[in-house]
Amino acid sequence: MRRLASLALVAVVVLALLPGAAAAVSVNDVAREVRCPTCNTPLNVSNAPVAQDMKQYIVQRIDQGWTKQRIIDGLVDEFGSGVLATPPKSGFDLVAWLVPAIAVALGLASIPIIARVWTRRSRAPATPRPPTPEEAKRLEEELRRFRD
Amino acid sequence: MSEPHEPEAGGWDRRRTLGAAAAGLAAVAVIALLVVGLANSGTGTSINDALAAGDRPDAPDLTLPVLFAADGVGPKGSEVALADLEGRTVVLNFWASWCPPCRDEAPLLDDIAGRYGGRGVLVLGLDTQDLSDNALGFIRQFGLTYPSLRDGSGDSEAAFEVTGLPETFILDAEGRIAHRHIGPVTRPEQLTRPLEQVL
Repeated sequence: MRRLASLALVAVVVLALLPGAAAAVSVNDVAREVRCPTCNTPLNVSNAPVAQDMKQYIVQRIDQGWTKQRIIDGLVDEFGSGVLATPPKSGFDLVAWLVPAIAVALGLASIPIIARVWTRRSRAPATPRPPTPEEAKRLEEELRRFRD
Repeated sequence: MSEPHEPEAGGWDRRRTLGAAAAGLAAVAVIALLVVGLANSGTGTSINDALAAGDRPDAPDLTLPVLFAADGVGPKGSEVALADLEGRTVVLNFWASWCPPCRDEAPLLDDIAGRYGGRGVLVLGLDTQDLSDNALGFIRQFGLTYPSLRDGSGDSEAAFEVTGLPETFILDAEGRIAHRHIGPVTRPEQLTRPLEQVL
């Protein structure tokens, strides 16, 4: 029984190492990662003529045992890096990743600063202005009425 | 009773100023990016405006790989610049295999290539935003004899302010745009008439 289990384990490892035995790639797996070049929408939701050709290309490459990344690289060779749904994390395209990250970091960093400003404002004592003669007179009257 | 709060000299105020300056700078950068993005989006009209005014604007300087070699343009895969073709009148046709009207006009363009080749006219296809195997299949299917360049990214469409496929330009021997035909060529005269004026 133990021997059988060992054999099964070896078989699983060997199968996993065989090319094409990796998790099956679907058309949608790839289509989500690229966009239709003529309509600028994700390929998986596009029905443009070129999108249909691209989906056909993906189907053929899956049948040939290509990996997801190899198919995406093939589409980049055909259409350029602009076909990727998300910009590559290199060169000038890196700006698209860095700007939002920097904006979030700045926003987070500003929270304690803003909190400090608000706390100081609330702590700062109010400076009452002296009452006008009319107000002083009215106050006196009110106090007198209260005492009576 | 305590005195009203005074800012710490040179401390908090300086930090606040720096923060405001950084925020201002970030806002300006974002606005600049938006302006650049808006300026580069959409299709320009400078070529149309120049042609309407009777001018011949310079053709954008493109360098693209050869998809199908013929008529002195090649070999396949080599890079060809439009500037290299100066001295010849060029009928530059933007097309793609997935574009039905491109199928309709392809035989007509091939006919013009045959008729005008002897007069130094080069009909040059520019396959754009297309899969290269499909594009080569298109050329084989229609038995096209004129050469084609390839631009998968579509940048050349933007450079020529192409509004949709197909679209055809006539470039004179000085590399200037002399005529533009938007949409499919359905009758030879749509190209032969302006060609005769350019030659």
